[in-house]
Amino acid sequence: MSKNLSNLSGRKGLQHNLYELLGNSAEANEGTPHPKDLKRLAEDFLMGRANTFGAASFYDFLKPENKGKKVYYCNGSSCMTAGTQKKVLEKLKTNFKEEEIGHMCCLGRCHENSSFHYDGKNYSGASINQIAEIKEQKTLLLDTYNVKSSGPQILTGNDLTLEEVKTSLNEILKKGREKVLEEIKSSGLRGRGGAGFPIGFKLESAKNTPSDSRFIVCNADEGDPGAYSDRYLMEFQPNKLLLGMLIAGFVVGAEWGVLYIRYEYPESLAIINKTIETLEKERLIGERILDSDFTYFFKTIKARGAYICGEETSLLSSIEGQRAEVRVRPPYPTQEGLFNKPTVVNNVETLACLPFVISKGGEAYKAIGRGKSTGTKLISLDGFFNNPGIYEVEMGTPLIEVINNLGGGLKEPIKAMHIGGPLGGLVPKEKWTDLTVDFESFSENGFLLGHASVVCIPMDFPLVKYVQHLFQFTSDESCGKCFPCRLGSKRGAEMFEKAQAGNYAIDEELLTDLLTTLETGSLCALGGGLPLPIKNALQYFRTEFEPYFSKKHLAV
Amino acid sequence: MNYSTDPTYSKEEWDKMPKAFIDGKPFVMEKGETILNFVRRFKEKGLVPTLCDAPNLEAFGSCRVCSVEVALKENGPTKTMASCHTPLTEGMYIYTSTEAVKKLRKNIIELVLTDHPLDCLTCEVNGNCELQTVAAQVGIRDVRYPKGENHQDCDKDLSHPYMTSDLSKCINCYRCVRACDEVQGQFVLSMAGRGFDAQIVKGDNVSFMESDCVSCGACAQACPTSAISDIYQSKAIVAEKTTRTVCTYCGVGCNLEVSTTSNKILSIQAPYDAEANAGHTCLKGRYAFEFYKHPERLNAPMIKRNGEFEKVSWDEVYDYLAEKLTSIKNTNGPDAIAGISSARCTNEENYLMQKFIRAVVGTNNIDGCARVCHSPTALGMQRTFGTGAATNSIEDIDHTECMMVIGANPTAAHPVTGAKIKQRALKGKTLIVIDPRKTELAILADYHIALRPGTNVAVLNMMLRFIIEEGLVDENFVTNRTEGFETFKENLLKLDVDEMARIAKVDKDLVRKAAIAYAKSSAAMSFHGLGVTEHSQGTFTVMQIADLAMITGNIGRKGVGVNPLRGQNNVQGAADMGVQPHQGAGYLDITKPDVIKKYEEFYGVAMPGEIGYKIPEMFEAAIEGKLKAMWIIGEDVVQTDPNTKKVIKALNSLDLLVVQELFMTETAKHADVILPGASFLEKSGTFTNGERRVQRVQAAVDPIEGTKPDGQIIVDMMNKMGYAQPDYDAATMLQEIAQIVPFFAGAKWEELGDNGKQWPILPDGTDTKILHGETFRRGLGKFYYFDFKESAEITSHGKEYPYIITTNRDLEHYNCGAMTRRTKNVEIHTEDVLWINPKDAEAKGIVNGDLVCVESPRGKVDIKAFVTDGVNEGVLSTTFHFPEIMVNNITSDIHDSEAKCPEYKVVSVNIRKARKTHLRKEGEVVS
Repeated sequence: MSKNLSNLSGRKGLQHNLYELLGNSAEANEGTPHPKDLKRLAEDFLMGRANTFGAASFYDFLKPENKGKKVYYCNGSSCMTAGTQKKVLEKLKTNFKEEEIGHMCCLGRCHENSSFHYDGKNYSGASINQIAEIKEQKTLLLDTYNVKSSGPQILTGNDLTLEEVKTSLNEILKKGREKVLEEIKSSGLRGRGGAGFPIGFKLESAKNTPSDSRFIVCNADEGDPGAYSDRYLMEFQPNKLLLGMLIAGFVVGAEWGVLYIRYEYPESLAIINKTIETLEKERLIGERILDSDFTYFFKTIKARGAYICGEETSLLSSIEGQRAEVRVRPPYPTQEGLFNKPTVVNNVETLACLPFVISKGGEAYKAIGRGKSTGTKLISLDGFFNNPGIYEVEMGTPLIEVINNLGGGLKEPIKAMHIGGPLGGLVPKEKWTDLTVDFESFSENGFLLGHASVVCIPMDFPLVKYVQHLFQFTSDESCGKCFPCRLGSKRGAEMFEKAQAGNYAIDEELLTDLLTTLETGSLCALGGGLPLPIKNALQYFRTEFEPYFSKKHLAV
Repeated sequence: MNYSTDPTYSKEEWDKMPKAFIDGKPFVMEKGETILNFVRRFKEKGLVPTLCDAPNLEAFGSCRVCSVEVALKENGPTKTMASCHTPLTEGMYIYTSTEAVKKLRKNIIELVLTDHPLDCLTCEVNGNCELQTVAAQVGIRDVRYPKGENHQDCDKDLSHPYMTSDLSKCINCYRCVRACDEVQGQFVLSMAGRGFDAQIVKGDNVSFMESDCVSCGACAQACPTSAISDIYQSKAIVAEKTTRTVCTYCGVGCNLEVSTTSNKILSIQAPYDAEANAGHTCLKGRYAFEFYKHPERLNAPMIKRNGEFEKVSWDEVYDYLAEKLTSIKNTNGPDAIAGISSARCTNEENYLMQKFIRAVVGTNNIDGCARVCHSPTALGMQRTFGTGAATNSIEDIDHTECMMVIGANPTAAHPVTGAKIKQRALKGKTLIVIDPRKTELAILADYHIALRPGTNVAVLNMMLRFIIEEGLVDENFVTNRTEGFETFKENLLKLDVDEMARIAKVDKDLVRKAAIAYAKSSAAMSFHGLGVTEHSQGTFTVMQIADLAMITGNIGRKGVGVNPLRGQNNVQGAADMGVQPHQGAGYLDITKPDVIKKYEEFYGVAMPGEIGYKIPEMFEAAIEGKLKAMWIIGEDVVQTDPNTKKVIKALNSLDLLVVQELFMTETAKHADVILPGASFLEKSGTFTNGERRVQRVQAAVDPIEGTKPDGQIIVDMMNKMGYAQPDYDAATMLQEIAQIVPFFAGAKWEELGDNGKQWPILPDGTDTKILHGETFRRGLGKFYYFDFKESAEITSHGKEYPYIITTNRDLEHYNCGAMTRRTKNVEIHTEDVLWINPKDAEAKGIVNGDLVCVESPRGKVDIKAFVTDGVNEGVLSTTFHFPEIMVNNITSDIHDSEAKCPEYKVVSVNIRKARKTHLRKEGEVVS
């Protein structure tokens, strides 16, 4: 978090973007920016060499260790619990040198697993069997999954036509900023990225912060293993998303909408770029849209692999070409965000809801859902379900309905569902009937709706191993800024690793202290959220852990 | 605390004040403060421990040990929050020491210790380590985690003459990274890698020495452990005492804290509460102090007999001098004697020297180095405003919206102020740089006007004209506060702007944009240096800068003004004390009978009423045989004054040359008598920095054997020559000065405190941060118009010598380098080099590192080429720190028409690849 670096990066504007230039250099140099380019970019941006070097070393697909990697297997939670990683890796090894194989954490192919990435494209399911052909560029295999809604279709169904986009734009231009903002506020729409913060407040705050420029940033860094609903929206509902960003930009007076799209979603990036081109051609974006004084441009940023960028302040630093380290708040991004300017950061799904709010009205949106959780929610179901896919349900829908009616039940018995990403709760079978799909129900029951991804944990998957995976994931993805997360996630992972190796008995009091330290001491939700699933696991599956605990504490 | 225990408030007031609660008790809060700040204002420091927090850095929130529990109502539900970055809100209940937060802090420190060598007893910061302190505070007993991965096998970095690192001690608090970024703005440090693997890197993972480190030491001072330190182990606690004093190098006036043991200096740190430098300083202030005990220090008075210096006793040298001076005075009159006092000496010493020359010798032949630097500033600003000093304070940079830097390279010559300007620019505030060279600030500037050296007047007239043209004149200010505007405007409207742009070789549109940015800004501040003054039109340029400020109403409030960056540590003070041939102590006109009378009454002797020689006139007079004796204190005129041959000729023409010095400088080599003075570390007094801040200099160690404080030497000579003057003592001298210098009226040694006072200091002791608030010192501010006039140097020699060389300074060395070249700074910056544009280099067949012969009508020097686009075609630049080069062999003796400041900045030269392959050897006397 350096305000000076933010300023220096911002001086060049979004069209000469440091992060993009670092990425370009990496692509031209086998996966990591050339040292000469790092030096040149530092000079060009008036930064230190340490800054470009430090930034490049932060991201999975920029860091020097990425050099020469040609193929990546998915090491995300879903492919792990589905048990497909071993086979994928073995197959890859027969076709690639060991040093050419890297890993990516979740390609969003959790509905069929066996996921891998080769030459800028993702593959899953049975594709691994055709790896030789894929390598020879002979085949491109697309995935398919179910998409269905059990109620109102806000985010599923057909995407908006260009005519509908135009109508909506005309409508907001006619209504004016204030009325559009009121409409959004009245909808009660809350952020879908996990935190559930009302978007209306963010828009209002950014709008009211004095500044010569403002930004709308779409957080399309859907990093939660098991989640692929944002990928669905980008690939199948791009007009809804882009119109949502236009609406948000109109309200706050932003001239730029930035989409930060994860590296692991190459198809999403391509489709969004193509959609932007179309909208540009139709003059629905650009200078003086529809002859109004509203000018709005889009910029897509290809992320380079860092789960922490799902956290909004890290994401902003990343766009600036800095290390994606979490910033302190205040100042909130709506006060000092991208390039130190007021910025509204929202998740794909949240922004994609805005066209509905504008066309049908805030009250109509609010009428859908339950209580403070208005509207609908997309849920990502993984390959353990009979009908894996993306489902749109009204907030308040019983979870068991989603499992049985939409998901079609499970292929095999499982012991728990990990809902809401790695920092979401671990929901044991006995709690499934207690939950409804909304923010309140989950938090009241000690879980977290989060981004509503579902990763199933089969009966034979040891939770000790799963907890170690969660610690390890956090350790791998920790930005390293705050002490509890940087050190605590590492030590947690080591404790469980050593315990499973049989040469260490976990001191349960120490583990409790560690979890409390992470939960109450961490700067952001990564370290702070990690204890939730672990505590769920310890609570509901205690017997699985007891053999690994030191005897002296078992009596307590 | 409440109104009954806090006498600050009455009950009514107390009830109205916004309050928050610390551990159940109410305290009055300040708007916008953090919880940590609030708690620190009322409670002892250790109550809420911190690690990543530092006084001069922004809240960062990484260590989390400052966490507290916060409730929004009494006994309400609490939330754990990091106090360093959580804003306090009214009615908050802060619980600093609940069991939960105490445990949290302890658990965090336990985690930190899983990756820290537990070798406290042998660590250099043992006893002064923040981690150690916090670990003790939170009561760590043991580390319960099994041994895991760690960073204990890092190599130490001992590559640099000053900076060191041992990253096994690093706790990843980022304080060094942030100091390098937020304080110095150098961006040498960053983290590399992610999460647990994240580690500090210098540059692109190189050593300190290979990096772009400017050795300011901010990182070492910021580091809470010994992960980044310096060769002096500044944070070790072996010192017996620390002495707060003021740096001897530039006019920023950094406060320094000097640690000593057994009369030896161990290290220097920058105090955080210093108003002038707020915990920052540069490598000269922090590290370049070892000259004081350098074996080459002069340590006995010497008299040159038969061409050889002979060590003599103080008594002998005093007798010799008294006899010689008296004899010259009797034979040739007092005006055959002249003194050059030193801006490196204290106010009290300067005051004494001018008093000696005026009251004891009986002449006004006293001048100082201001002559060769900011004499045009003093004169120009006196003419337009009435006071020849900075109108505002350094802290105003934090409030300005636009900075215009003309002819100054503060990141090298005034590093702490330079860093401050840089920081402000990095916050997005407008920066205009007018300089022929691509300086560090120019690179960062929104508008860099790279004019041809010597054309400041042309460019500033363009700016003034554009401001009028664009209707951006502050009519209100001009009407109420100034005079002479109409004539001024008429002249500007006649200006041929295109012709001026052609002459200055600048883009007219760029100048227009810069002028508009300056004029439209709500608060614009200008800074100027020797690139303004050291010109034939130097005084006029200063007056134009004043015009710019007046025409836009940028005078008399926060964040505005005209701010000369004074070169030497006490050049402001030397002039204030009367080290000028036309004004006595307090800038009183020595030709006026009432002033003469005042001085006569005060000094008790008859006073001379004729204006004395300015430095260049002294040399002329010596050559002409009119001047017979000179006493030069702490000034190497041979190396640093222009036209070296002429200076040497002048010195050699004298019957008596007395040089009071620390080292055998180029000038000292020509002396008849040498008096070994004391360095700033060995004496007391006051220095006045560039913002008129009179600060206490306090001896950290005794003068080395054989030397005396310069003030004492002068006092001894005064007494020897029959004028009774008490022994040198800072406090009593200041008392005398306060009686005669009007703007020092309220200056008292004991009241100056840690941060000094900015003059005018009123009789009641109040000081002044901003000048000309309601009215100008001279009543109305006066507009003057001046036409651009090409320097005679160019008109006479430009054809034959088509290149222009301009001289400047480096960060690492100070002036003639007598001090800095005797420190490890010389390992960082080893020689003077010649900046030359790639096209010029190519045309002359010169490549990087070639020796280039630079020839002017006065002489020639050989300098190593540094090919760079930092200068435009036709322009060269170099420094004058090394006697091996003696660049002043080629500079001219053209001077500012008004103040007689030499035109160092415009020298007509020609260049060719040198025939020689090596430089003049050190110690070789130029004859």
